[in-house]
Amino acid sequence: MIPPLTPDVLRRRCDPAQFAFATTTELEGLDAALGQSRAQGAIEFGVGMRREGYNLFAMGPEGIGRRTLVRRHLEAQAKSLPPPSDWCYVFNFKVPHKPRALRLPAGQANAFRARMERLVEDLRASIPAAFETDEYRNRRQQIESEFGERQEQVLGELGDRARAQGIALIRTPTGFGFGPMKGDTVMEPEEFRKLPEKEKARLEKLVSDLQEELARVLHDLPKWRRETMNKMRELNREVTRAAVNSTLEEEKAQHGALPAVQEYLGEVQEDILENAEAFRVSKESEPPTLFGVPMGRAEAPEATFRRYAVNVLIEHGDATGAPIVFEHNPSHDALVGRIEHLSQMGALVTDFTLIKAGALHRANGGYLVLDALKLLGQPFAWDALKRALRSREIRTQSLGQELSLISTVSLEPEPIPLEVKVVLVGQRILYYLLHAYDPEFAALFKVAVDFEEDMPRGPENDTAYARVVAALAKKEGLRPLERGAVARVIEQSSREAADAGKLAVSMQALGDLLREADYWAAHEKRTAIAGADVQRAVQAQEARLGRVRERVLESVLRGTQLVDTAGERVGQVNGLAVAQLGGFAFGMPQRITARVRLGSGGVLDIERESELGGPIHSKGVLILTGYLAGRYALGRPLSLSASLVFEQNYGGIEGDSASSAELYALLSALARAPVRQSLAVTGSVNQHGDVQAIGSVNEKIEGFFDLCNARGLAGGQGVLIPKANVQHLMLREDVVAAAAAGKFAVHAVDSVDEGIELLTGLPAAEVHARVEARLAEFAERARAFAAGAGAKPWQKTKKK
Amino acid sequence: MAENEKEVRIARIIACFSPGSAGAPEAIARLAKEMQAELLGLFIEDVELLRFAGMPFAQEVGFPSASRRAMDVDALERQMRAQARALEVTLAAIMGPAPAGWSFRVERTTPASAVEAALAEGMAPALLIPPGANPRAERRVLRRPQISGESLRTLLRALRPVLILPE
Repeated sequence: MIPPLTPDVLRRRCDPAQFAFATTTELEGLDAALGQSRAQGAIEFGVGMRREGYNLFAMGPEGIGRRTLVRRHLEAQAKSLPPPSDWCYVFNFKVPHKPRALRLPAGQANAFRARMERLVEDLRASIPAAFETDEYRNRRQQIESEFGERQEQVLGELGDRARAQGIALIRTPTGFGFGPMKGDTVMEPEEFRKLPEKEKARLEKLVSDLQEELARVLHDLPKWRRETMNKMRELNREVTRAAVNSTLEEEKAQHGALPAVQEYLGEVQEDILENAEAFRVSKESEPPTLFGVPMGRAEAPEATFRRYAVNVLIEHGDATGAPIVFEHNPSHDALVGRIEHLSQMGALVTDFTLIKAGALHRANGGYLVLDALKLLGQPFAWDALKRALRSREIRTQSLGQELSLISTVSLEPEPIPLEVKVVLVGQRILYYLLHAYDPEFAALFKVAVDFEEDMPRGPENDTAYARVVAALAKKEGLRPLERGAVARVIEQSSREAADAGKLAVSMQALGDLLREADYWAAHEKRTAIAGADVQRAVQAQEARLGRVRERVLESVLRGTQLVDTAGERVGQVNGLAVAQLGGFAFGMPQRITARVRLGSGGVLDIERESELGGPIHSKGVLILTGYLAGRYALGRPLSLSASLVFEQNYGGIEGDSASSAELYALLSALARAPVRQSLAVTGSVNQHGDVQAIGSVNEKIEGFFDLCNARGLAGGQGVLIPKANVQHLMLREDVVAAAAAGKFAVHAVDSVDEGIELLTGLPAAEVHARVEARLAEFAERARAFAAGAGAKPWQKTKKK
Repeated sequence: MAENEKEVRIARIIACFSPGSAGAPEAIARLAKEMQAELLGLFIEDVELLRFAGMPFAQEVGFPSASRRAMDVDALERQMRAQARALEVTLAAIMGPAPAGWSFRVERTTPASAVEAALAEGMAPALLIPPGANPRAERRVLRRPQISGESLRTLLRALRPVLILPE
């Protein structure tokens, strides 16, 4: 018979005496990620590798310290890099709907914007001033009078010719006319009528000829007017150029090494010459005139000046290294930027000054850290990020444009070259899913940073862990921890890791535990956190989440759920299940029963038949058939029909951790050997009868202990666990105390034989012999049936 | 600018408007206000133009369209009345109750006769603005006796204001 495990095995204690400090104030804090050497190496490699596609995916569960570690490495690396260039969007004078991107040395963009604003303001003063000079006025008057004189000259010559022929040139309200003269004045109409017909015809012919000549002269007038206007434009241009050149040349000289800026300023210069008229009018002034005729304005002057504005997209004036951007809302627009609109007269309008930077712009030349789940949850954000990384440029487009949902004219800003290292932080499952289903993922995120969830436990690591606890307590402003409290924290960390030989490295869980222990220490008016405070924090956590556990226990105690903890019964074993609700796991006993009869060799899994069992559970049950066939029915057919069920299970069952319990129930039923109900069983079994490790062993043991304890510990109660799970034992103090007092036992078994002896109190060989005999009896009866009836009445008739 | 102009305060502006040259009434009115001079707006319904319109073959050649249109007296008179009304309204809007006062007359005569009559009313020195002239253009300065019938006609054809000083 297997003896129970000794109490020291049930919980691996951390001896406070191993620590040389009294409280953590004496410890030098360790602000490091414990047990993450693999992840650290990967981050160092990924951050240092400046090649395409070497972006990082930091994977692991929440609270493990992924962001902290990533940030720490990025900050160290970023300091050694120069601040990246500034970027601006400016007007594209050649293709207005494609704003031009300008790169400027770090910290110069805002100054450039300010200088351009000042330049426009200066020109608004200097250009009108240039047009107020006597030189300009005289030259303009000269051009105007040239036209007037030319016009007057031809009209005067025509008038003189007409007058020589006795015809007067008369100005009408809308033109000119010719009338016959008498003396110096126009002839009276009555006098004309009295003239001889021949004379009237002559005069009419003369007038008609003169009208034709006048029409010919007037045809030339528009051409002369155009010539004059061209001269006027050229004059305006000349005057404007003189005012503009001195100002712009000065600005150009400041950007000698930047050809793109030089080119842009050259275009600005040309555009100002073309639009000099806008600079000549104040906001309230009348429109410009030519020969007293108002000339239309293509657009308001303020709109003209807007095109010389500089939209500083990103500036690194105060930066001391490469940027590190954590984008917490990685939507499409938040990544690639957006183009805003203004409402004008009911229409939405935009221009290059309304282009806004996204996280990629801000992180360009440095690092961008994103939460993978949030990124994937944002429509089209993942595609936008991949496109940017693949093309190595940031193209700012609205989703509507990108998806061709809107066809209104909008902007197509010039893409900005992208050089960024992206770090995605997410769960492992996301990494594996992306790797499996997104062909581009592997090429873009070549560096997997796999975070550990635990680290080996030992004196050295215990001390390092204590230093991390000290650093965390100091950082959070908590009370120092006594060494007993540190020891209790380490034990709880082992429990979190579900392994006596490991320590969980979740900084989030550790931080929560320390903060809550500090609360209880304050409650007890202690100056340092004691082990009891840590213990109370753990218990309070469990109590807050323990409502369902208590209700389940209550239902068993009240007899609603049938679970025996005393006596013996054939074909009935206490199995152990674990429920996981909201991050809190607890064990609960479950009655498993088996019934056998003559049949065709199958073990019927009622859970599977009723679709309450999952595939792993079904696999476990099928293995039982393999065990039975291999162990007992080598020479004859297995003429058995057995049924197995988790009694009162209505919510489904998954996993194979109950397969050994199911086998014990089956063997008990076959051997007619009663099973002790004071014991519960967990462990999976293989076809050879070896008992294999399962998960959540601590919760399962504690679940049965709580039931026995509630009913009163009688001394013979206990749990059978796989021997492979002994290393995972970190049981509660009360369980360990009961075991030490001999009131509760935990047995570690290696095989079905060991287990069946504990459960039935019979030697395994006897149980096997009984099973063998029973199966032989079934086989014999089956043969007799077959010989007598030539048929197998117990077999179901298959319907065709 | 003539030397003697600097010493002279212009008391009166005689602004001539004709059907063929509406001129710049707003600019003239503003000038009058600035100078605090009395303004006389003189719209001259040129009798020669009316005679011409009464001819059986009367046609005008549009400026600058060069298109030919028949003319008749009734239409011309309607047009002149409308022009005169518009001019008066424009001057009134700017002059308002000007301290120096202003008036507007429509006269059917020749431009020279109309101006002669206005000058005969005295109140020199006066600024004569011929039809269509820029009121702020460089002025000619003449003394009243220098202005006779033929010279007045020439002055009225030119597009320059004339400052007429007393004898």
